Amino acid sequence: MPPTRRLFAVLLAGSLALAACGGDDDDGGSAEGEGDSGDGGTINVPDDHDTIQAAVDAAEPGDLILIQPGTYEESVSVTTDELTIRGADRNEVVLDGGFELDNGIRVTGAGGVAIENMTARNYTKNGFFWTGVEGYRASYLTTYRTGDYGIYAFDSVEGLIEHTYTSGSPDAGVYIGQCYPCDAVIDDVVSEHNGLGYSGTNSGGNLLIVNSTFRFNRSGIVPNSGSYELCYPERETTIVGNLVYSNNQADSPAIDVALLVMGTGIVPAGGVGNVIERNRIYDHDLNGIALLPFPEEDANDVVPPASDDDQPCSEAKGEPTADPATIPDTVLWNPRDNRVIGNVIEDSGLADIGIGSLVDVSGLGNCFADNDISSTAPTDLEALAPCDGQGSGGDWTAGALDLSKFLAEKPPSGDYKTSPVPDDQENMPDAEDAPARPATDVPRDIDVDAIEVPDRPSDA
Amino acid sequence: MTTLRAASSLVLAGAVLAGCAQDDGAGVAERVSPTQAGPQGRVPQFVVECRFSHAGPDDPIVHFGHHGRSHLHTFFGSTVTGASTTAADLAAGDTTCEQKLDRAAYWAPALFEGGRMVAPTGAAAYYRPGVGVDPGSVEPYPFGLKVIGGDQAASRPQSIDTVAWSCGTGSERHTTPPACPEGRPLRLLVSFPDCWDGRHLDSDDHVGHMARSAGGACPESHPVAVPQLLLSIGYPITGAGHDLSLASGSLLTAHADFFNGWDEHKLATEVSSCIHQDVICGVVSSRP
Repeated sequence: MPPTRRLFAVLLAGSLALAACGGDDDDGGSAEGEGDSGDGGTINVPDDHDTIQAAVDAAEPGDLILIQPGTYEESVSVTTDELTIRGADRNEVVLDGGFELDNGIRVTGAGGVAIENMTARNYTKNGFFWTGVEGYRASYLTTYRTGDYGIYAFDSVEGLIEHTYTSGSPDAGVYIGQCYPCDAVIDDVVSEHNGLGYSGTNSGGNLLIVNSTFRFNRSGIVPNSGSYELCYPERETTIVGNLVYSNNQADSPAIDVALLVMGTGIVPAGGVGNVIERNRIYDHDLNGIALLPFPEEDANDVVPPASDDDQPCSEAKGEPTADPATIPDTVLWNPRDNRVIGNVIEDSGLADIGIGSLVDVSGLGNCFADNDISSTAPTDLEALAPCDGQGSGGDWTAGALDLSKFLAEKPPSGDYKTSPVPDDQENMPDAEDAPARPATDVPRDIDVDAIEVPDRPSDA
Repeated sequence: MTTLRAASSLVLAGAVLAGCAQDDGAGVAERVSPTQAGPQGRVPQFVVECRFSHAGPDDPIVHFGHHGRSHLHTFFGSTVTGASTTAADLAAGDTTCEQKLDRAAYWAPALFEGGRMVAPTGAAAYYRPGVGVDPGSVEPYPFGLKVIGGDQAASRPQSIDTVAWSCGTGSERHTTPPACPEGRPLRLLVSFPDCWDGRHLDSDDHVGHMARSAGGACPESHPVAVPQLLLSIGYPITGAGHDLSLASGSLLTAHADFFNGWDEHKLATEVSSCIHQDVICGVVSSRP
């Protein structure tokens, strides 16, 4: 099925979208009986249905599913549009996978589903996962001890991830991948004790990561490119106003790539056109900000030309890939056209800002300006590549970034199953009484220009 | 439709795999063959990755009840698979799959180098609609279904749509094992029939109850569309000059087996929420 057909199906209003999905009565058909709703009614767990899944199966688009405190050993599958799935208490409504179940809640192809105010733990894959949707919202969610990601949006657009806490993932606490433009916002999240605080492969385009904290991971924020998924390269993620510190965590769970970038704050790995501004970054054994390549050994395609940068993901999916015989053994995704401006960076072991690749980086169009820093690799980076005016024409090899430091042996991955249990997190307001709020008005507008460099936390 | 993309000037000019038979032609926009593993994202799928479990001369499909009668197999998924294993045994057993509710048994003839078994690094099971098959029409396999992909008695090269050899998770396919570069080790890809007769879990010849779709449709004799399984088995082999053979005979006899022991409810959920919803529920990552 051509991917554009699926996207159009999701765009259609309620019942039409359901008809296009090919299911019969299993998604939103109105069964009579207690605890069933419609027209934005409320279904209560456990009062109306013992399990979250039963409530989801009975729900119709627009309904609110309100879950009372308890431990729910479920892997919930959602295929109904515009549900609001909410815990009455963020810390007391717990989905527990027992390291047997894969995902806490997985939303497949259903638009506008919002999940809020609950905890997911001990899942072999993800806490909360949306794939192939238009409209998603994760608010006041906690995840810990999840084998892939805490909160994960794949091939999905129009999303909001806010006021969440994610820890104990070997890959990343928060991940948005394969979308352009994503039209998504990550705002006021905390992500710690993961391999990566944030990762995003081949995502971007009106994708904002703002006002958030990434700490105690192997690396903080790592947008990246690769051809094992579609819509490469990663481009145009806006990373502004974040606290990124102490990402040198020797005991965190970590996939190999996280080990490789251990000791860094913000790393576009083969990323393009990202805006990295006014973040406060400190205490990293290597770099506060490092613009690095991703050498892909197992590529399905070659790097697209820059002239394809503005091609939407929906079109890119239909493009042919290169003849396998023409794909080099290693496809080199380079960091290109990134803007690094106004960040406050200190206590970096190697250099506050570094850029390096396996090829000459001087012509890659990255620029650096107005950063409050004391070291760069290469030296005088802001003079070499300013964001306004001409570069100094100086020597890019002087004080070059020593990439071999990244290849040094790192402390091995910790076991995600025993990563730290978090403290109680802040509840959403009025959980019991607030009306249903499907993810149809997302993301909200963020005045990025008004965001200032955050202060150090008072307990640092 | 655009022409092939020009390589960026920034891409390293790496070595082309000169001398390898290219049987699949240029990269394509659509999936046209069931043995095309990547790139992922073009068709709906769910995937399961399973570690190598054990090896043994057993086959509960072709030599049920006769331990030691079969050529050597390497087993993935279910940890209990032996000559007399039943579906109930699978359901009650453990699995090496990261999806704990996939208790199916997957196996293939052992790969030998110079007569010594090569321990596989693991397997990935890609579940997708058959090529061109309407995703909404796909039904879960019945519990206990036995399916064989490929032909263990083949004396001529099998179709590259049934059996292919590849390197890493890349998209090239060959009819014989290529010389794979470092970092992209050898992989065997076997696709399985995707149409069931709707009645029998097995058949006298162990293949007659299944058929392959053609032109996106199942034959009238086998009207039930089931997921098309693509089993990918990895081996720690790179470079040229390896003296390879299979326990079933020459490399031409590559094949694989699937004995469905999935938790029934979970399999039904994967089919309805992933395949019917036309989404990607998971990807096999080449990212380490």
